[in-house]
Amino acid sequence: MTAPSVSFTDERLVNGLRLIIAEDHMAPVVAVCIWYAVGSKNEVPGKTGFAHLFEHVMFQGSRHVAKTEHMGLVQAAGGTLNGTTWLDRTNYFETMPSHQLELALWLEADRMATLLDALNQENLDNQRDVVKNEKRSSYDNRPYGQWSNKLQELLFPPEHPYHHPTIGSMEDLDAASLEDVAGFFRTYYPPNNAVLAIAGDVDPAQARAWVEHYFGEIAANPAIPPLGDLSLPATLGGERREIVEDRVPLPRHYFGFRAPRFGDPRLEALEVAAQILAGGKGSRLYRRLVREERIAQDVAFFTLGFVGGASIAAGQATVRPGVDPDVVERAFEEELERLGREPVTADELARARALIETYELESLQRVEERADRLAMFATLLDDPDMINRQLERYLSVTPEEIQAVAAEVFRPDNRVVITYVPAAEAAAGQDEETAA
Amino acid sequence: MTLEEILAARPSPGQPRAYSFPKFERTVLPSGLQVLTVHVPGRPLVSANLIFQRGAVDEPADLAGATILAARAMTEGTERYPGVELIEAAERLGSTLHAEASWDAFAASVEVAASRLRAALELLDELVERPTFPAEEVARLRDERLNDLLQMRAEPRRRVEHAFSQSIYTAESPYWRLAAGDRSTVERLTRDELIGIHRALLSPQRSALVVGGDLTGLDVPRMAEEVLGSLASAGSGQSSASAVSGEPTAKPALSVPVADSAVDRTIVRLYHRPGSVQSEVRIGHVGLPRRISDFHAVQVMAAILGGLFNSRLQLNLREDKGYTYGVGAGFDMRRGAGPFAVRTAVQTAVTGPAISEALSELRRMRDTLVTEAELAAARDYMVGVFPLRFETPGAVVGAIGGLYVNGLPDDELACYRDLIERVTALDVQKAAQDHIHPERLAIVLVGDADVVAGDLEAAGFGQLEVIREELPEESGEAGSGDGEDE
Repeated sequence: MTAPSVSFTDERLVNGLRLIIAEDHMAPVVAVCIWYAVGSKNEVPGKTGFAHLFEHVMFQGSRHVAKTEHMGLVQAAGGTLNGTTWLDRTNYFETMPSHQLELALWLEADRMATLLDALNQENLDNQRDVVKNEKRSSYDNRPYGQWSNKLQELLFPPEHPYHHPTIGSMEDLDAASLEDVAGFFRTYYPPNNAVLAIAGDVDPAQARAWVEHYFGEIAANPAIPPLGDLSLPATLGGERREIVEDRVPLPRHYFGFRAPRFGDPRLEALEVAAQILAGGKGSRLYRRLVREERIAQDVAFFTLGFVGGASIAAGQATVRPGVDPDVVERAFEEELERLGREPVTADELARARALIETYELESLQRVEERADRLAMFATLLDDPDMINRQLERYLSVTPEEIQAVAAEVFRPDNRVVITYVPAAEAAAGQDEETAA
Repeated sequence: MTLEEILAARPSPGQPRAYSFPKFERTVLPSGLQVLTVHVPGRPLVSANLIFQRGAVDEPADLAGATILAARAMTEGTERYPGVELIEAAERLGSTLHAEASWDAFAASVEVAASRLRAALELLDELVERPTFPAEEVARLRDERLNDLLQMRAEPRRRVEHAFSQSIYTAESPYWRLAAGDRSTVERLTRDELIGIHRALLSPQRSALVVGGDLTGLDVPRMAEEVLGSLASAGSGQSSASAVSGEPTAKPALSVPVADSAVDRTIVRLYHRPGSVQSEVRIGHVGLPRRISDFHAVQVMAAILGGLFNSRLQLNLREDKGYTYGVGAGFDMRRGAGPFAVRTAVQTAVTGPAISEALSELRRMRDTLVTEAELAAARDYMVGVFPLRFETPGAVVGAIGGLYVNGLPDDELACYRDLIERVTALDVQKAAQDHIHPERLAIVLVGDADVVAGDLEAAGFGQLEVIREELPEESGEAGSGDGEDE
């Protein structure tokens, strides 16, 4: 198979908006993806969850777009859309039939320029309620639901902005005001804090002209406050453990480690290691814990890449009934530590590479994914061409590199272990609000 | 121009590029196996899907779960590739073998570089024709399912889905059951039952191989004949007589499952989960099978009610009231009548009002015509998004497989957009009146009965039954699974 090659142009408007266009005409569809370099790491104490609440407000209309009209116009045009918020960034995207590209650009420009004209207390309160229900649905009312929040809490020190979850706390969501929204918008949503990627069935000259037309007059913010130093020691400096009682029938361990930052080749070696550890039924953890020793119901291992301070390498194993959770933990950790002691076999590495290659090619088939990755690499690494080097970088990872990063990362003094156990009382638990 | 002038002018759409659903070719092998190929230029990854028109709905009630368990066990070793060697062989090709059963069908599938298609088909053939069902792996998978059933009870979303199915169907309907089986049936499943299920599955006259991607230079029918041509011998032994390319030979009729309603007037069933901060809610009744004459009108109606982001339910419960993060409604169409359901999770304190609003939206769908704007929004979305849905070979192959499973005509997808365009407001209202029945709904909840039971009683939606059973002290196996098949 040939390595994927995405040719694109990369330029900046006078106001600082970074514009990336990748043209191809395989299907009559085009993706528009805009990444703002702001995420939950930019939140201040007492305002957790705000970046994500703000993302919801971005769909509540702007000067020329009424409430709910953003969704309505995109859907009536035959498009799909969404937005997501994460620690390092917030993104918004539309995938459209190609003749509807201009509509998507206009919608993004109108909210970048005039969001505050449509802002009112009623819309903010409504979306606050929606987000609080999102938190209940995704975390509070779900078995094992708080694991990721707890992992962040234990892996990052209280003064670090990765310490708190993107969804925030109910108390802080309640405290968000119209002034907060206005201030956040003026500070973090100017064109010079955004990357706009367009991929698919597009005439680049026409697209560039539309972008100049709709976005060109939007004012920059020359004073986006820098975040300060987010650097952290590479390792945790001592194991941290927590036992959580929850309404779950089976115990489950979550493991977390500080890992190299996004863009560091060692993180890519760790991603290949994750494939060898838990990527499907041929993987080490699955074979040993699920298939052979039959002590776990399921296993997983993955990385979450961040640019500030450290990434997260995380795993989980659900304990089978009647099995001592300690036995599962030891087996899991042994497999991680074995990776640091001895090189992976040639066959394991060959299988992992082949699967990663197919996965990458499969992903890059879709215009939405191409636009998303271009914007991601530009926003987080200032290097959109990484889209064309990523696969090669994965395929060139050596057994020695895997061994080295495993030895650095999978150390007991760099480990968080969160163990969920069935609660003694049926109603004990994880619901943040039950005490309130 | 000022910024205000620039943004005040809404753009109008350009000229749409012509689009039609990719044409597929049909070849029928001497065994009766249909080979459906679709050329999608420029797509080096090929998607291959070997489908059998037999699913969980076709298994006997006392073996509920056997088909899904058999599918899971088929990747656990074959005659030529014992144990995990089959998985490893696929991984060396850069692909993962999937063997999955649903209510209506079993499918073995793979996504692979075009140059490795033949090798991948050989693995598919091995998986389908010569699985060994090792007893100890079957026992492990069975235990994993039992563990999964325990996890299911703890997850409000899965628990409410199960309770909803058991509320709307009579116990004689296969859809009353869990597709992957419950404790009473799964416990009994052994290698012998799975071998029996497998044998019944393997009829080439009920199977099709669908292959899509850039097929330049590949003679897929010939490859299929060479690799899968012997499929008949492993199966029930019927041979098809005259196989003519282009026209399938006489197809055995698809069975239509029993899907009788257990509800004749609206009922409310509340499963107590103390301390829940949200109520998981399902409202509905027995819905429709896939093969119906007013399919397109029903789809437009369901989109306006609860399918679009700006559906009536979303605009009311989310964007106006803030009761929920999301609410949807729709018909799960199967070979038989699958459920119609409104699905949401709402903040505990507003459970009663949220149900009232949902019920009023169901009635409004029947009582008044949708506006031209609503109709246009749904129609334009469904027509416009169609090419986006089929951007990759995997999606195209999946859709063609769906036609095969449901016995639909070859031009079903090619005609889809025209038929959606023709749906009128009257058609939508008629679809609602014919297929939504507010007088005999099951309203099923998992939530905190201590908080919401009083409101539900007072609201008088229907006869209220509160089920306060706690998690049983089950010993033995349980777990979190990959199966959202309930």
